[in-house]
Amino acid sequence: MDNLQTLKQAFTTALGIDAAAVTDELTYNTIPEWDSTAHMILVAELENVFDVMLDTDDIIDMSSVAQAKLILQKYHVSFG
Amino acid sequence: MSASDSQPFHQTSVLVTGVTGGIGHALVSTLVDAGATVFGAARGNSGLEALQSQFGRQFHPLCYDVTDESAVKEAFRQLQKQVSDGLAPPLYGLVNNAGVMLESPLSVTSMDKLKQQLNVNFLAPYQHMQLASRLMSRLRRGSIVNVVSRGGQSGSNGMSAYAASKAALEGATKSLAKELAPVGIRVNAVAPGFIETALTSHYEGDARHQVLNRIVQRRAGTPQEVAEAVVYLLSAKSAYTTGHVLPVDGMFSP
Repeated sequence: MDNLQTLKQAFTTALGIDAAAVTDELTYNTIPEWDSTAHMILVAELENVFDVMLDTDDIIDMSSVAQAKLILQKYHVSFG
Repeated sequence: MSASDSQPFHQTSVLVTGVTGGIGHALVSTLVDAGATVFGAARGNSGLEALQSQFGRQFHPLCYDVTDESAVKEAFRQLQKQVSDGLAPPLYGLVNNAGVMLESPLSVTSMDKLKQQLNVNFLAPYQHMQLASRLMSRLRRGSIVNVVSRGGQSGSNGMSAYAASKAALEGATKSLAKELAPVGIRVNAVAPGFIETALTSHYEGDARHQVLNRIVQRRAGTPQEVAEAVVYLLSAKSAYTTGHVLPVDGMFSP
């Protein structure tokens, strides 16, 4: 599984949504499944699957799938 | 009795701050006896080395200042690396035990002293809960126990900064119990009264007598009695308890 697939899998696991719904445009608090509790689970899932420890500022900024990709690149996770 | 009865913390890690004090040492000892792997935090290496030689592989020392934000993050990185490398079980518990107690009337309490109380007794535990809860939420289970104070609930003459810092932590305890329940994490506190530790060793003669007269049980508590209460709240025996502050004070009126 490449990093993009791993990222999508993390979102589907944490938010309980279909993989098809995980697009760059998907944004925090715009769907019922991505609330503050799910956000915490999502962060834990991303940290777990990519073996990173995110800074709090990055967690605050992680407001969309596109943002998540940008932030993870700071932690040497590339998306091709 | 099964192994899980005698060692309820088998295959779990617990991070304890302030392990070189009286209550900290009792916490480490009680948790190790219960089968836990303990990550013990303190500022001084010598105290940590003594604990490591006493408790062996079940004790993992972490030397840092709890008020140093970067050092706290680095400590959590070290902890998680040991978990990832299979050297320790996943983090299940956190005990925010490190604290300082300032006895200082309002008129002579400098802003620096007030900030130090808030930094050690409230901001540091808050950051620890933030980082620990992220590791615990991976497994959807965890238990956090904060060591607060009876003075935080009732007020204490000449100790307003200390009492305020502990009251802040108590408020965070109850709020985070609500916030973290959906991810399987319980948050509780113990509120020790007058306990025989280095923090209270200067109470002698009349001063000690006056304090003991305000305790229904007419004696000081022991670090072990506090540790037993903390370990109960950490354990599955209190699985249906969260947002609770458990006094361990012999019914003390500060």
